[in-house]
Amino acid sequence: MKKIISIIMVMALMLISSLTVVKTASAEEMKMTGTITKIALAADGKSATAVLKDSKTEALVTITITDDLTLDKFKDKRIVEGDEIRTKYDAEGGKNTSKMFKKTAGC
Amino acid sequence: MSRRITAIMLGCLVLATFAQAKDHPGKAQILKDGYQGPKTCEKCHHGKAKEFLGTVHWKHASKVDHVDNINPNEEYGMKNRIYTMCNGNDIVNNLKEVPPNALGKTKFTGCNTCHPGDHTSDVGSTGPEAEQAIDCLICHSSKYDFSKRKPVKDNNGKVVMTQDRSTEAAANIGRPTIKNCMVCHEAAGGGAMIKRGFSMSKEAEVHVSKGIICVDCHQVKNHKFPTGRDPNNWAHDGIYMTCAGECHSETPHKDADYNRHTAKIACQTCHIPKTGGAFSKDFTKWEKQSNGFYEPSTLKREVNETSPVYAWYNLTVSNTPQFIGPKGSRTDGKSKIYPFKIFQGKAYFNKKNGQLLSMDFAPPIANGDSLAGVASAAKILGIKDYEPVPGWQTIYFGSNHQVTPKNKALSCANCHAVNGVLNFKELGYGSKEVDKLTNPELYFEKLLKQQQENE
Ligand code: HEC
Ligand code: HEC
Ligand code: HEC
Ligand code: HEC
Ligand code: HEC
Ligand code: HEC
Ligand code: HEC
Repeated sequence: MKKIISIIMVMALMLISSLTVVKTASAEEMKMTGTITKIALAADGKSATAVLKDSKTEALVTITITDDLTLDKFKDKRIVEGDEIRTKYDAEGGKNTSKMFKKTAGC
Repeated sequence: MSRRITAIMLGCLVLATFAQAKDHPGKAQILKDGYQGPKTCEKCHHGKAKEFLGTVHWKHASKVDHVDNINPNEEYGMKNRIYTMCNGNDIVNNLKEVPPNALGKTKFTGCNTCHPGDHTSDVGSTGPEAEQAIDCLICHSSKYDFSKRKPVKDNNGKVVMTQDRSTEAAANIGRPTIKNCMVCHEAAGGGAMIKRGFSMSKEAEVHVSKGIICVDCHQVKNHKFPTGRDPNNWAHDGIYMTCAGECHSETPHKDADYNRHTAKIACQTCHIPKTGGAFSKDFTKWEKQSNGFYEPSTLKREVNETSPVYAWYNLTVSNTPQFIGPKGSRTDGKSKIYPFKIFQGKAYFNKKNGQLLSMDFAPPIANGDSLAGVASAAKILGIKDYEPVPGWQTIYFGSNHQVTPKNKALSCANCHAVNGVLNFKELGYGSKEVDKLTNPELYFEKLLKQQQENE
């Protein structure tokens, strides 16, 4: 029994890792610092988009956020429009998905 | 044993669900009369505000008796300490507006933004006005609107901290959640997870994944917060705690081989195998940001990316200008091996007496001039006779959170293999002992059996 479970686990792991490999092959990791010009929470509260103005190029970049901790910070306004953010995101198929989204801060 | 823990955990869960399900008994009254600050709470919870003024969270200081080279009659804490994780304190970095930068922009900065007062009643203030200035809701409300908590200039040009004192926030009172505590604790040291480098998410922490939150472990009584013996968290409310005590015994394992180790090895050593955050900062060189402000240059890693350093610790602290960290040895009979994050910071020392100088961040934030920051701090403190020279300080931070799932805790071969995580020689073991401690004889049979069971 244990053996079967571990085989299934291994297969599941292989599946997951093969998927991740496919994903990283096409997604490009980007980094930027910018000021939030707009935050829009999805109606179900499970995702949000933030429009950031890149501090270097002034270009507007829309980033999709799905992690609960950051979503929570939008909801109770610990992160608001006008805040400066440091972010890492995956750019893939025209969609930018956040991997890190933090307020910049000194000491 | 583990059944007892399961029972405790279930108990916690049940309690947590109850607490959430049931409304605060004061809700109807607050909705009716509105919220006028602590005096609204005091109608039913008499004395809470006054009690709070005597705690570390208000005073940012306490007497300290386990640290070398300090005055036992004075109080120490964020109010007045100087180290190189943040090269200042509440006094020299009192909340203020920084001078305009090259782009003409200005902003507010100050260590005491992490104080639950309104800045008019500041760190350590006392009396009826201070009592009414306490932001009870920052810890107790689940509907706090943080955009209402910020430094602004009042009509007289004085910088004050505003609070969310809405009826909405006051109507949603309860025990503090992780989020309430993390408002200040997450960003300590200059940004998310910089100082401590631990995450309190369900994925990262076994306790959190079981519904256990900060105040389940830190069992706060009358606003006195139990704390541990981190070598760089001096101020305390007089109550100490560690992993073993209320929640776990010194022998919590079914496997006696692990229980035998707890006499010499702290629980954290095996159960918190990684740390993260900043590991070095240079306060003599500030980096220009794209918004025109400057920040101290900082080397950092993500949560869980740094391997700790292991050292004997007898819970007393060595404190010199160059080093603030654990004291202890293999042979003093009191020490255990603990995990630490080593941090190294560069700042200015006073050539005249060798002491570390502090820095007011307002000037360097605006224009990168760190020596102007030192001059401003010296002026605030009335230090006239000084000559700043750059130098490094090493400080140790305890690694006390982010307990990893048990299948990732350190097991026999993690330590007893030749390339294990412990440097036995540096920890004081002789070469014969090291040979023995790194011989597979110690664990071979056991791990072989485990391997067979898992195959
Ligand atoms: C009308 C009376 C009343 C008012 C006003 C009131 N409370 Fe309470 N509160 C109670 C009672 C009754 C309890 C339950 C018994 C207890 O723990 O003392 C309680 C419990 C609490 C608890 C424990 C909750 C828990 O789940 O463990 C906290 C914290 C608390 N109150 C904070 C506050 C704060 C902060 C205010 C002001 C915003 C406030 N209360 C205003 C009556 C009141
Ligand atoms: C308003 C900001 C703020 C909030 C909110 C806050 N803390 Fe703190 N906390 C601090 C600061 C600042 C210190 C360090 C003061 C010092 O050492 O001088 C501290 C120190 C501590 C300490 C060590 C000192 C002691 O009193 O034992 C513990 C433990 C602690 N906090 C736990 C918590 C928990 C748990 C919560 C949530 C209920 C919380 N804190 C909420 C700012 C905050
Ligand atoms: C975002 C909130 C926050 C800000 C801003 C902040 N701190 Fe702290 N600080 C904390 C907390 C929380 C602790 C205690 C827990 C810990 O060390 O993790 C602490 C602890 C300290 C300690 C150790 C105190 C002791 O009891 O030993 C020093 C020193 C310190 N801070 C210096 C500073 C300086 C200097 C600044 C400003 C330049 C600053 N802090 C700004 C949250 C903050
Ligand atoms: C730094 C965070 C913090 C602040 C600020 C704070 N509290 Fe608390 N308070 C706590 C914690 C933590 C507990 C213990 C909760 C538990 O474990 O159930 C607590 C418990 C309480 C309780 C219930 C238990 C008891 O001691 O009677 C009341 C009532 C209370 N607080 C009222 C207040 C009032 C009123 C204020 C403002 C004057 C205030 N608190 C400010 C953290 C805070
Ligand atoms: C699983 C239990 C547990 C949880 C959950 C927990 N702590 Fe702790 N904490 C401890 C223990 C144990 C220590 C002291 C360890 C020692 O020194 O031996 C400690 C120490 C501390 C200290 C002193 C500085 C340090 O890092 O050692 C602070 C500050 C603190 N905790 C704040 C918090 C806050 C804020 C939260 C929630 C975000 C939290 N703790 C959640 C168990 C816990
Ligand atoms: C030498 C390393 C080591 C030390 C020291 C150690 N542990 Fe463990 N602990 C482990 C390992 C490995 C496991 C998982 C395997 C097991 O349960 O046998 C574990 C499991 C546990 C479990 C889960 C038990 C279960 O049956 O689910 C708890 C709780 C625990 N430890 C608490 C502690 C406490 C509290 C201390 C300090 C008094 C401590 N440990 C010290 C290595 C250690
Ligand atoms: C965190 C690292 C760590 C882990 C994990 C660990 N050990 Fe140890 N072990 C030590 C240290 C350090 C000592 C020496 C303690 C002392 O000074 O008394 C030791 C001592 C021993 C000794 C006594 C050696 C002697 O002096 O005769 C045995 C046997 C042993 N370990 C077996 C194990 C086994 C089996 C496991 C897995 C179940 C294990 N250890 C896991 C660090 C570890």
